[in-house]
Amino acid sequence: MRVLAYADNRSWAAQLASAADALGGDAAVFVPGRELADDAAKLYSEVFFSGLGPFEPVSYSAAFSEAARSFKPDLALLPCTNKGRSIAGLYSSAAGIRSATDVISLSARAGDSSITVRRLVYGGRAEAEFLMSAPAAICVVQGSYPERGPRGGPGQVHEVPAPDPASSVDFKPKRREGAQPEEAEVVVVAGRGIRSKEDLELVKGLARALGGAWSVTRPLAADQGWADSWVGISGLVVSPKLYIGVGVSGQPHHMMGARGSKIIVAINKDPGAPIFEECDYGIVGDLYAVVPELLKLLGGKGGDR
Amino acid sequence: MKILVAVKPTFDIGQLKFEKDGTPLLDACPVSLGEADRCALEEAMRIKERLGATVAAATVGSSEAHYKAIRDSYAMGADEGYLVKADDPWKLDALSVASAIARVAAATGPYDLVLTGSGAGDTHASVIGPMIAGILGIPLIAGVDRLEVRGPGVVAGTCKLEDGSYTYEARTPAVVTVTSEANAPRIPNLRAILRSKGMQIREMSAEELGVDLRRLEPLSVRKYEIKRKRIIYKAEDQKGAAEASAELLAALRSEGVLS
Repeated sequence: MRVLAYADNRSWAAQLASAADALGGDAAVFVPGRELADDAAKLYSEVFFSGLGPFEPVSYSAAFSEAARSFKPDLALLPCTNKGRSIAGLYSSAAGIRSATDVISLSARAGDSSITVRRLVYGGRAEAEFLMSAPAAICVVQGSYPERGPRGGPGQVHEVPAPDPASSVDFKPKRREGAQPEEAEVVVVAGRGIRSKEDLELVKGLARALGGAWSVTRPLAADQGWADSWVGISGLVVSPKLYIGVGVSGQPHHMMGARGSKIIVAINKDPGAPIFEECDYGIVGDLYAVVPELLKLLGGKGGDR
Repeated sequence: MKILVAVKPTFDIGQLKFEKDGTPLLDACPVSLGEADRCALEEAMRIKERLGATVAAATVGSSEAHYKAIRDSYAMGADEGYLVKADDPWKLDALSVASAIARVAAATGPYDLVLTGSGAGDTHASVIGPMIAGILGIPLIAGVDRLEVRGPGVVAGTCKLEDGSYTYEARTPAVVTVTSEANAPRIPNLRAILRSKGMQIREMSAEELGVDLRRLEPLSVRKYEIKRKRIIYKAEDQKGAAEASAELLAALRSEGVLS
């Protein structure tokens, strides 16, 4: 099966390289900028790049389609992120092919054009298996496949001309203060159990003590405005070694953003909170009592980095 | 100005129950006009109130919930409602739904704006808006928290994406998908609800629109089984909190996730 991946960072290039391996056959990748092309060439036999400006879905999708016209893939693999979903929708409608999002595993039968796709449905509360026939566009959930290491010789690099954007773009990059939840090995998330913006310091302190990043659930960002982004299906999807939910109840849309974590820890005073169904370790107790104890125990190392 | 809002009824997945064997009990799950779709309707109403516009709502599917989604759109202030008849709508594939909406837009338009929710509460595939834009060949602004009509034929939207905030400005016609963070959708009053019941819903068939509605038949649908250890410590007081914390940190060290 010929696979064309779309990746806008190194991690996605490596994750989708694993997914393509699982399907067998030739794999190429499209990256939206020259600077990613050399890294990608260590992972794929062919790399297409385009000197695109800040993300604008129509031109990005058009450049990806151009790479697809040249590579002629059976399957397009994209990140299941907001950007990946937009490109998948535009690309599959332009190509007249089917698409599937929220995919957690893929398998192909040798010599067959059909793929078995497992995807999350109903806000991640259920999973469904579908048989799809190539060609198709598939959005893969963060953390479903491990990042693959480099392969042998560098792949061929081709430039695709950058199409004009369909809209003008004014891009303000996210402030990158401290560790980023998407990259950190430890992510501490504040939920509605946190009573005020000032109390977020508890969560930030715990993240600092663990050398990790902090984030929040959607209500704290979208309704309270205490943070710019949140963990969840409509926000960041994280897959750290350790996730700690502090006062997080565990709504399905949030947990879909955290499921790739190796270990999930919950601290919540409500023993009936759904997160306790979905954690490896949990403390049923008042976060205002528990977090200071954790900080005290961790105090020896890294409190003030 | 003419605005089309694509809407769909959405399962309240927080209330979804499963059979013992893991089969979801969809028939027993509450279903209503999706949250992000209501935000898209609200944006349309605000444009209508400020600049004047005709607002149409369209949906694909013949279930009772689909008719109700159009009536709820009327109650929020939509002027026209289109329903593309389709049995078993929950299994329609996204490209078929997007094609049907695009055909409705072509048949009843031209529209300056096509709005929809950025992601449904149940599927959250977020591909319908992009597909409609792809089929119609018009600009797409996906996932806006803030929508603004900047002048005749110019629309702008601000979106929070993974790496920052993007403000896009496009010429109309354009497709804009609206997040559930964009606004607090109005709750229709009793008079609006009563009026909505008397309004006609224009039914259309896939044949008359010339669209081929395909379904995607799952091989299986099962409860997502979460394989986690679920080791729970209880901390009833400060002393309990100290003990539970120590036990937790010891466990995390033996897991190798804490140095």
